[in-house]
Amino acid sequence: MTRQKYLFCYLMVAPAMLITAALGIYPMLFSLWMSFVEYDLLRINEFGTPFVGLDNYVAVFSDPRFVQTLVNTIIFTVLAVAATLGFGLLLSQILNANYRGRTAMRMLVCVPWFVPPAVASAIWMWLLNTDRSPINFLLQDLGLISSNVRWLTDSATWGPFSIPMMSIVAVRVWNGLPFAVIFLLAALQSIPRSLYEAAEVDGASLIQKFWYVTLPMLRPVLAILITLLVIGGLGSFEINYIMTGGGPQNLTNIMAVYSYQQAFSFYRFDLASAASGVIFIMTGFVSIFYLRSQLKGVA
Amino acid sequence: MTKRLYRAGTDRKVLRRHTAMLALATALGTTTALGAFAQDITFWTQPQGDLLAYQDLFDELTSEFREESGINVSVEVINWSVAFNTWLTVAQGGAAPDCADMYWLHSFSGIGAGRYGPMPITEYRDRWPTLEDDFYEGALVDVHRNGEFYGIPWRVDIRPMMYRTDFLEEAGIAAPPDNWDEIVEQGLALTERDDNGNVTRWGFALGANNNPAQTLMPYYWQAGGAMMSEDGRTATIDNEAMRTALKFMQDLVHVHQVTSPEIFEKSADPLADFTSGNIAIVGSTNNSWPSQFDRDYPELEGTWALEINPAGPTGNRDSFSGAGYWGVLYGSSDVDACIDWIQFLSEPENMERISEVSGAASPRRSVMTSELWTQRPWQAVMAETLNYGHTSQHPSAVWNAIASPEPGAVLYDLVYNTVIGGGDIDSAVTEAQARMQAELDRASGS
Repeated sequence: MTRQKYLFCYLMVAPAMLITAALGIYPMLFSLWMSFVEYDLLRINEFGTPFVGLDNYVAVFSDPRFVQTLVNTIIFTVLAVAATLGFGLLLSQILNANYRGRTAMRMLVCVPWFVPPAVASAIWMWLLNTDRSPINFLLQDLGLISSNVRWLTDSATWGPFSIPMMSIVAVRVWNGLPFAVIFLLAALQSIPRSLYEAAEVDGASLIQKFWYVTLPMLRPVLAILITLLVIGGLGSFEINYIMTGGGPQNLTNIMAVYSYQQAFSFYRFDLASAASGVIFIMTGFVSIFYLRSQLKGVA
Repeated sequence: MTKRLYRAGTDRKVLRRHTAMLALATALGTTTALGAFAQDITFWTQPQGDLLAYQDLFDELTSEFREESGINVSVEVINWSVAFNTWLTVAQGGAAPDCADMYWLHSFSGIGAGRYGPMPITEYRDRWPTLEDDFYEGALVDVHRNGEFYGIPWRVDIRPMMYRTDFLEEAGIAAPPDNWDEIVEQGLALTERDDNGNVTRWGFALGANNNPAQTLMPYYWQAGGAMMSEDGRTATIDNEAMRTALKFMQDLVHVHQVTSPEIFEKSADPLADFTSGNIAIVGSTNNSWPSQFDRDYPELEGTWALEINPAGPTGNRDSFSGAGYWGVLYGSSDVDACIDWIQFLSEPENMERISEVSGAASPRRSVMTSELWTQRPWQAVMAETLNYGHTSQHPSAVWNAIASPEPGAVLYDLVYNTVIGGGDIDSAVTEAQARMQAELDRASGS
């Protein structure tokens, strides 16, 4: 390319780069800086923002609530990603098959995607309300339960698992599934039919075709999808904050909610930034892992 | 001759040009001078009641004030969903109006640290010579900090008890509970369960929202407690009053089982439960509920009523109270104009108009005894409860963090772990006292 063409290209991407730098990179770096200073809104006008090194990170890791929150975040992400992928693979196969009503089915699967997480949370809060839950009424009518299930408020635990956490994961999966399905469906449609025909000639079963043809062909898309879902899961906020606020007893609290609470409820922007810093490190690690694998693929 | 004529024509042209320039300069000068003398102030407020009616009222008020004083007030209505973040930004030096309808004086003043946020207007206090007589005491506490005067309270969040008259009648109960013992008795009589043991109606709800700290406060005061010393430097919650209040609340949930254990969860919705008949009595109701019932639930007319809060073991009936106020902000371009505007708004007839449109109880006594507030029985109870109003604000900048409705806040953890979690009250109170003291030290710079 000539120098003029390069200049034109740079000019074209400059607005996007500037916006990203101003609204994405600068706040991120500022937040990282806050995690290394004392940034307490109640003291800042009097004491300023003295450098405290890793004190804020030590403080958050010394808080049992944060440690529990960290574990919750990992469990939440792993469960949500696994369930989204599992159901996504199944549904995309169904939507990829040829049958009458396929278009209507595709539209139905996409409906949850049109519902913003905040609205989805409000709907599911009502559906999962202990005393007014239609799900509870249905289960009681079917004779499956005798007393109401406390979907969002039961504090009984089985290790790190609890009913409220499972409920929140289910809502997250419901809301995020269409995204995965669309991704996978597009990838499935790009797999040449000749590969399946060759496998059929070789006598491959349905599962063998899925294992030896579909999955390997989906690998690049799956890698991107998993990366995006993991990053989204680690930074997830709305559903947990709106539906449970992290309760009961911190069982559904995740790091983004913890960070929000530290900043806007307790005025500790330094501790909030440290918690966000941990999210940043975790998502950064996932991104680097993904980029490295992509670069290896290119090489 | 021709030359003279030509000169005369040129002179006229020059004259015309000069005249035009003079006229333009005069016009510009007048405009500039008028601009220099015109007074424009900005005023932010949060809507109460119907948004459009509230905006229309402020349009009328600003127009009347402009006619009266020549001061132009530009009103901006801040949505409640962004109000907290807006004021937090203002208190840190962000864009601010000249004067505003504000709340949480101690926290926002503490964050502003005398540079940003609410500004004391003590030297203007004599503009309201009969302040103490004209306003309820509980509301006036909310506009004072460290002996300084910050503004005029205009609305009060006062929380009397609300109950379903139809359920009490069914249960043969003549009057709602008048003390804590009667809360238990009536709670037991009003709680209903289905064949599977599922509760279909809770006899008593401690409060009207899922905020543990706000729920605790009236019961703690009724037991004779105080949250902190008057200077806001010493926590005073490790006492018998706190243990009594927590034990009472804990027993309602676990021993008598007349109160839902889900009251503090985000999914709890006391308003929906009360309207649908799943709750019989709400101990400390939301100030906005009665007018909301009049407006949105006409079908429930005759099935509900208000009453002053039941007395605690010390005979105290303190009710949760919190006032919003009109005040001036640091950096105001025209403090005098702001004071004139606030004085105009605080005139009895204007406060009555604002109370009528917003539906909010007024901290001005004359409004609460006017015809507007004596038309319905619940309004009289609301006015009576104001006499028992105890401010929910406390004299420390960190108070709203201590009383935050989020897990991790001192009072949230204390109430949740004991009342819902059934934890040991003694150790929880001792721990909460230490944590609260650490927070107060943080705010006071110790």
